[in-house]
Amino acid sequence: MSGATARELGFFPRAWAVCAKDAAQELRRRVAAASLFFFAATALALVSFAIGPFGVPEEARAAVNGALLWIILFFSAATGLPRAFVREEEAGTGIALRKLAPGIVVVAGKALFNFLLFLAIAVLSVPAFALLLEWRIGSPVALAGVVLLAGWGLSLVSTFLSALVARAGQRQVLFVVVSFPLVIPLLLPAIAATIEASRGDIAWRELRVLAAYDGAATSAAYLLAAVAWED
Amino acid sequence: MKALKLLLLPYMAAFVAAAFLWPAPAEGFIGESSRIVFFHVPCAWTATLAFVVAAAYSVAYLARRNPRADAVAHAAVRLGLLFAVLALVTGSVFARIMWGSFWNWDPRQSSFLLLLFLYAAYLFLRAAIDDPERRARIGAAYAVFAAILMPFLVFVVPRVTESLHPQTIINPEGKILMDSPTKVVFFAGLAGFTAIFLWLLELESRLERLAAGAPAPSGNGNLPRRPGV
Repeated sequence: MSGATARELGFFPRAWAVCAKDAAQELRRRVAAASLFFFAATALALVSFAIGPFGVPEEARAAVNGALLWIILFFSAATGLPRAFVREEEAGTGIALRKLAPGIVVVAGKALFNFLLFLAIAVLSVPAFALLLEWRIGSPVALAGVVLLAGWGLSLVSTFLSALVARAGQRQVLFVVVSFPLVIPLLLPAIAATIEASRGDIAWRELRVLAAYDGAATSAAYLLAAVAWED
Repeated sequence: MKALKLLLLPYMAAFVAAAFLWPAPAEGFIGESSRIVFFHVPCAWTATLAFVVAAAYSVAYLARRNPRADAVAHAAVRLGLLFAVLALVTGSVFARIMWGSFWNWDPRQSSFLLLLFLYAAYLFLRAAIDDPERRARIGAAYAVFAAILMPFLVFVVPRVTESLHPQTIINPEGKILMDSPTKVVFFAGLAGFTAIFLWLLELESRLERLAAGAPAPSGNGNLPRRPGV
């Protein structure tokens, strides 16, 4: 895509082009994308081996499994999501990307890619987790809603913070320091809603909190994207 | 302004004396433990106010790129952290008396600890960036982003989970459940702690600019202003 062509496109096609570029880069490397899934598989195997399907009493199973699932999802995603902008700086492609698209388009495209990556991890991890731990999910639709809402918030916040730390020293460690307190308000309702979903209920209050968090994070990222990705 | 600063010392002395001597201890609390509310809540309020001030000055920095606004935002975060630590310590003392343990992983205790981490991360982020202009810009973007998501940590999460914490001032009934002497001392404490914060903010901002090599404004006691504004 030439610079002139890129500038003529609308917001969504350009964001999609950034997302497709990131996907192509990840698929070309293979090792990077595969390592995310390998991390999720290792964590799943560890949990399954440690507690197995009957290691937790029946009455505590929903709560323990709900928390464990999100620990696996969060740490698997955390190995890949911060790379969104760091990769551009390390490869020296950040300058070209700044010339091709404004900050908001780049952040949107990379957040979309991270969201799809998170969903891919979730689509593989959740059924495998349920299968290995013999965990019956009462309301799969409610769980899907939780994964979608929490996944978008997690992806967007990680992408935005990745833009902030991309040119700082010790960025990998720094990303963990800055992201942890911001994603906790997202993970706590996600865990609570997952527990309810496994019991067959829909936790509307928690889902509303997740939707509100997503709305606030999306608005904040929209307002600040240009500043975060400024040269 | 100077006279107001001089008045702050006797004002706070009177406040401390009143907090310990005037209102009767609240019902339902062990011994005199309820008196800690006169110090704990103002510390928590001042910390939150400091973070809001940091966000406001960060917005001002991003709008005009004035280093003075960045200096005030940075100073506000440092002071906010100080008051947040004081709020956590006073809260933990109360928890020890009432519930037998300094730390109970109560949602309010935990969310306030995370708030402290949130703004400690601001300092880490700034320290990791060498270029002053980029440091100010990235710091401001983080401060605004954190402020937009802060209500979820401070107001939402503690309310969707069960808590041991006594009912807060902002309660579902929308009423302040205090007798008159308690109310007077409580709001006097809020005003006093806010005044101390504003004074410290002015001093810290001035020190920050001096450390950066910029001339300090004349000592009129006001918060720093942009030239010509």
